[in-house]
Amino acid sequence: MKKVFANVGLMLFAATVVVPLLWVLITSLKSGPEIFGSPWSLPKHPQWQNYSNAWSEGGIGRYFWNSVVVTVATLLVLLPVGAMAAYVFARFPFRGSKTLFGVFLGGMMFPNFLVIVPLFFLFKDLHMLDTKQGLVIVYVAYSLSFTIFVLTGFFQALPGELAEAAMMDGAGYAKTFWRVMLPLAKPGLLVVAIFNAIGLWNEYSLALVLVSSDDNRTLPLGIANLMMVQHYQSDWGALFAGLVIVMLPVMAVYAVFKDKIHQTMLAGATK
Amino acid sequence: MRRRSRNLFIAAFLSPAILLYGGFVVYPLIQAFQLSLYRWRGVSQNRKFVGTENYQKLIHDDVFWKALQHNLWLLVVGGICIFVLGLLIASAMQKDSRLVRATRAVVLFPQVISLVVVAILWMFMYNPSFGLLNATLNGMHLSGWAHAWLGESKSALPAVTVAFLWYAIGFYVMLFGAGMKGISEEVNEAAELDGSHGFHKFRTITWPLLWSVKRVAAVYVVVNVMNVFALVFLMTQGGPDRHTEVMLTYLYEQAFSNNQFGYAAALAVANFIVAMLLSFGILAWMRRDPQAARS
Repeated sequence: MKKVFANVGLMLFAATVVVPLLWVLITSLKSGPEIFGSPWSLPKHPQWQNYSNAWSEGGIGRYFWNSVVVTVATLLVLLPVGAMAAYVFARFPFRGSKTLFGVFLGGMMFPNFLVIVPLFFLFKDLHMLDTKQGLVIVYVAYSLSFTIFVLTGFFQALPGELAEAAMMDGAGYAKTFWRVMLPLAKPGLLVVAIFNAIGLWNEYSLALVLVSSDDNRTLPLGIANLMMVQHYQSDWGALFAGLVIVMLPVMAVYAVFKDKIHQTMLAGATK
Repeated sequence: MRRRSRNLFIAAFLSPAILLYGGFVVYPLIQAFQLSLYRWRGVSQNRKFVGTENYQKLIHDDVFWKALQHNLWLLVVGGICIFVLGLLIASAMQKDSRLVRATRAVVLFPQVISLVVVAILWMFMYNPSFGLLNATLNGMHLSGWAHAWLGESKSALPAVTVAFLWYAIGFYVMLFGAGMKGISEEVNEAAELDGSHGFHKFRTITWPLLWSVKRVAAVYVVVNVMNVFALVFLMTQGGPDRHTEVMLTYLYEQAFSNNQFGYAAALAVANFIVAMLLSFGILAWMRRDPQAARS
């Protein structure tokens, strides 16, 4: 009896999670009158043109590529910079290194919004407002805390003998890192890359303040903007198609790396 | 020689991270505190030091108190729901079955999709003309219950809270689940042999043994709730008539609609202080390990 109760509860919970998402998927294939007429019904003829409307007329295509460019560029800078710092923190203690490590970790606790006003004016002074490069730099800076936290753990767990052997063979510190240690840390780099990619793909608040023109909008900004626009044009099918385009890539990544994501999330939380 | 090259290496490897983090995180953070002591509308010449004026204004600002109240409402109501539902769901997921595996596969979906999608999705759930919620109520012949959920002052904040819960709860389910896995089989079996089942077992065994996980979860709820921005900003813009205003949406309005940058910085500092006080309060309150006290 108790088990039945628990299972019914679980089914209700799973349905609460899944039904709204499925509803978006189904609605994205409906025509305008169908959307208004019967929210629960299935589309008579799937309206695939909702997707092409969203992609070209809605501008989702451009926002999509902006998001790809910003996310990839951020990872390309973030991973080496973060790994270098993490390597030093893990294997080369120096006076004050613990304090410095603490300062880096502190960034995980406070909200980005605390600094939004000074950051806006710093960007204005540096003429970086409304540029993709500026957004990338800020994203790197704000992803460093988590990246260094996870990678330091990975470098600490690697066997030190390998690095020492490489040093004996005459490879310098830097060469030992790039040739021996960094390749060994690949699993850690992968986890960090996935986590950051999801977060960056979804990031909204910083981009909202730092980006203003349509040419530089990332997907979250773009879809929010599309919603405002559709209030006047009311091509809701295209908006729902846009929502699917925003969430599909992350859901695919999540489905593939589910176990890794769960592990890292809980490891970070229970430390 | 060896020492020098080591130091050189450390400096070279740390400097990119320090430059980026120092320049774009630490420096603006210090400035935020500084800026909160100025009256400033964004034009550099007119920056005037006013001491604690912004903070005094804050204390007499009804909207600030309203926003803080809404954050606290989210914290208390949202927090209780997260703990009750999270613990119930997590304990239902302890035994392995196909249903449990399926649930585990979807539990974090709301968390990994963008908050913007969550916000828009729920706006449409609540939409009075073609939203799923009203359509369902009408279908069940409960038209009297149908509402403009986000448009009415009474239902707006609870409606936003539901969206927040939908988004946030998966993480806590996973967290509580991991904590329950950590309670050893032996303890569970011993309890059951002693005739302790169901709620009694939960109250005497599971709840106290989850001590450290509860602490982490409580602090996370505080951080989560004090960070709420995009959800409210997109769903209601703080309306109707400020009935869903939270601290960060008010900050955004003061900074980027009203150009009150000094005042916005003071709001940011206030938000930070409230979050710190609540976190430390929780840590102090839950500091003692009940197990340690007994042994």
